[in-house]
Amino acid sequence: MTRIVLADDAILLREALAAGLRTAGFEVVGQAAEVEGLLRLVDAELPDVVVVDVRMPPTHTTEGLEAARAIRSHHPRTAVLVLSQYVETRYAVDLIRDDAAGVGYLLKDRVTKLDDLADAVRRVAAGGSVIDPEVVARLLGRPRRHSPLDELTPREREILGLMAEGRSNQGIADALVLELKTIEGHVRQIFSKLDLEPSAEDHRRVLAVLRYLKPD
Amino acid sequence: MQAHVGRTALVAAAGLVLVIWSTFGPFLVSAGPYHWSVTLTNASINLGFGLLWVAVLAVAVHRDPGGRMWKLLLLYLAAQGHWVLGYVQTDWTWTASQLFGPLPAAILLHLVLGFPDGRLRDRFDRWLVGLVYVIAVPLQVLGFLVWDPAWVGCGPTDWCPANVLLVVRNDDLYFLVGRVGLLSPVLALLAIAETIRHWRQAAPAARRALAPVALGMPLVFLQLGIWFLAPALDRDDIRVFILENKVFDLPSYLTPSLFLIGVVRSRLARGAIADLAVELGRGVPLGGLRAALTRTLRDPTLELAFAAPDGAGLVDPDGRPFVVGDAPGRAVTRLEREGELLAVVVHDAALERDDAALLRAAASVAGLALENERLQAQVRAQLEEVRASRQRIVEAGDAERRRVERDLHDGAQQRLVALAMRLDAARGTTIEAQALIDAATAELGVAIGEVRRLARGLHPTILSERGLRAAIEALAERTPIPVEVEADAARYPATVEATAYFVVAEALTNVARYAEASHAAVRLAADHRDLTVEVRDDGRGGADPGRGTGLRGLSDRVAAIGGTLQVDSPSGGGTVLRARLPLEAAAS
Repeated sequence: MTRIVLADDAILLREALAAGLRTAGFEVVGQAAEVEGLLRLVDAELPDVVVVDVRMPPTHTTEGLEAARAIRSHHPRTAVLVLSQYVETRYAVDLIRDDAAGVGYLLKDRVTKLDDLADAVRRVAAGGSVIDPEVVARLLGRPRRHSPLDELTPREREILGLMAEGRSNQGIADALVLELKTIEGHVRQIFSKLDLEPSAEDHRRVLAVLRYLKPD
Repeated sequence: MQAHVGRTALVAAAGLVLVIWSTFGPFLVSAGPYHWSVTLTNASINLGFGLLWVAVLAVAVHRDPGGRMWKLLLLYLAAQGHWVLGYVQTDWTWTASQLFGPLPAAILLHLVLGFPDGRLRDRFDRWLVGLVYVIAVPLQVLGFLVWDPAWVGCGPTDWCPANVLLVVRNDDLYFLVGRVGLLSPVLALLAIAETIRHWRQAAPAARRALAPVALGMPLVFLQLGIWFLAPALDRDDIRVFILENKVFDLPSYLTPSLFLIGVVRSRLARGAIADLAVELGRGVPLGGLRAALTRTLRDPTLELAFAAPDGAGLVDPDGRPFVVGDAPGRAVTRLEREGELLAVVVHDAALERDDAALLRAAASVAGLALENERLQAQVRAQLEEVRASRQRIVEAGDAERRRVERDLHDGAQQRLVALAMRLDAARGTTIEAQALIDAATAELGVAIGEVRRLARGLHPTILSERGLRAAIEALAERTPIPVEVEADAARYPATVEATAYFVVAEALTNVARYAEASHAAVRLAADHRDLTVEVRDDGRGGADPGRGTGLRGLSDRVAAIGGTLQVDSPSGGGTVLRARLPLEAAAS
């Protein structure tokens, strides 16, 4: 059973989250209200996944992001899903860019759909990447002058978006109710149009797509 | 001014009448015969000298209408005409003409020792002038009480005058009184010494006026000493010699000439006041005021102290406490405006004595400059206070926005999310409730999104957390047209960052709403003084900063931290909005 440590300074929400995750079949092995307590818990419990709110004491800004980085560098086997109030592409991209495997950036709104939350937890636990659809929509929707993105068909854009969310070809096929082979064809086409190196591993593919969408 | 000129003309005219009287008088009142020295030639020469006196009189009354100088001069010219009364054939006038013989010389001494303002400087001067007046009037009267002029015989017109003051004839007493003339050389030497002493002790500015008098008057006094000594020595031939050679009539022409030269030189010194006014008008640092006054008053010992800002005592130009001493020879002039002490000038006491008018003028000009300086400082301080208070208001507003943002995120939003989770958990309990719960959850999702956007609009976390560039890039992503961001990752004071952010946010909102632009660019550039924020689009232009609350509010917000906002938006030529935000003031 996937073991989870949960960190959020709002007790009400944290309890609700814990209950939901248990309902979804996860084992919540610990809860923390601030970063230090979280790091101690992680050291002690070595959970499979840490679900952490981006806003935590003392400044209530992006402590969760820093905590995620710290956990990933000390415990590479522990995946981290950051729940965020911010639709900021910068935060998501920076989080993923360090280390795309086993990392997720999900809008907090998403937890209201237990299925979506459970899906995201499972994906990061399996070493995948998760980027919130709204963040991806912002990345894709950002107006550009003369971009190869204009060459993509609507279907290809849709698939690019799902890739950016961190979905595997199978996941995309499931989401769009299409054949896996069709998806693979689209993906090849997209990579060729955007002049990107095709990548076998999903999390590397996420990186390539994100780098393309938000170069720095 | 008109009245001033009128008075000058009137007094000068009176002087002219007196001069004509004292020169051509005999020809006017008498058909002759005249004293051998009373000729048309002599009268004309004397009239020429008299005109010099009229000039001195005119300058004196013009320069100092409230002063004593012109009155003394007028008195002198009147006394000068005493001898003409001898030609009016009554005993009274004749007696007066004889009685007032020494009076002009006494007034002359008074004039010289009182030059240039007519006031005697010290006790010795008053004593000397008083002594001479006593000799010239009461002592003279005493002599007349006992003098029977019968021995004079009849006058030039076969008329025999009589001394109307005669009470009882006493030739011995009269003789004794006449011997007082022996004092003349002593008095003349004292007068010479005093004149030179005045010059030596005068303040530098007054020395300019006194120098000609000090140089020339000894000759005049020498002549007068001899003139009054002569009768006491029974040497009338000396007087005859002087009367025959007009060049020796020094008091008549040398004195007014010296006065005139002195007055002109003192007027030149007075020009320094104009220079002072011009100099101070340009704005002199308070330290420079002392130097300027020193130059104007020619007093290198001059000290300046200002009323302390807190109203307690005086401070010198360097701000150190200053105490006015009571050293001898020092005097204090207060610079006041509307009864309030601005500063004190401690200077050579001679200045007050010798050139009070110059000192008053300089003090007045300096007081004006100080008042001006003080008012300016007041306005500056008030402006600075207003600026600081505006900035504090903006900072307080920013802090409040951050607080509300935090409350929204950590309060309302959390509760809404928790509520949505509970609803979600309730799904599937009953089929009937299903649709209702789904609808409520969807509504909640919208509410959560709205709270998020509201919070972000109040204060984007990414701004304080990642800085201006990241925050502006996030803004660019939210703008429906391509926006290029040219900036580095530098951090600035929080108020500057917030102001710059709101400028860009408002500008990009306007671009999206009104500009019909296809492209926009944001550029941040900073030097050590300012952060410059520039938002440029290729839209239709014509944005009017005066209209609409958006740009107006931005302008106020920028001004509140001491910055400037400039909008260049020609119709059809795109819009450039440029804000210059000082980094210095905001950091304080």
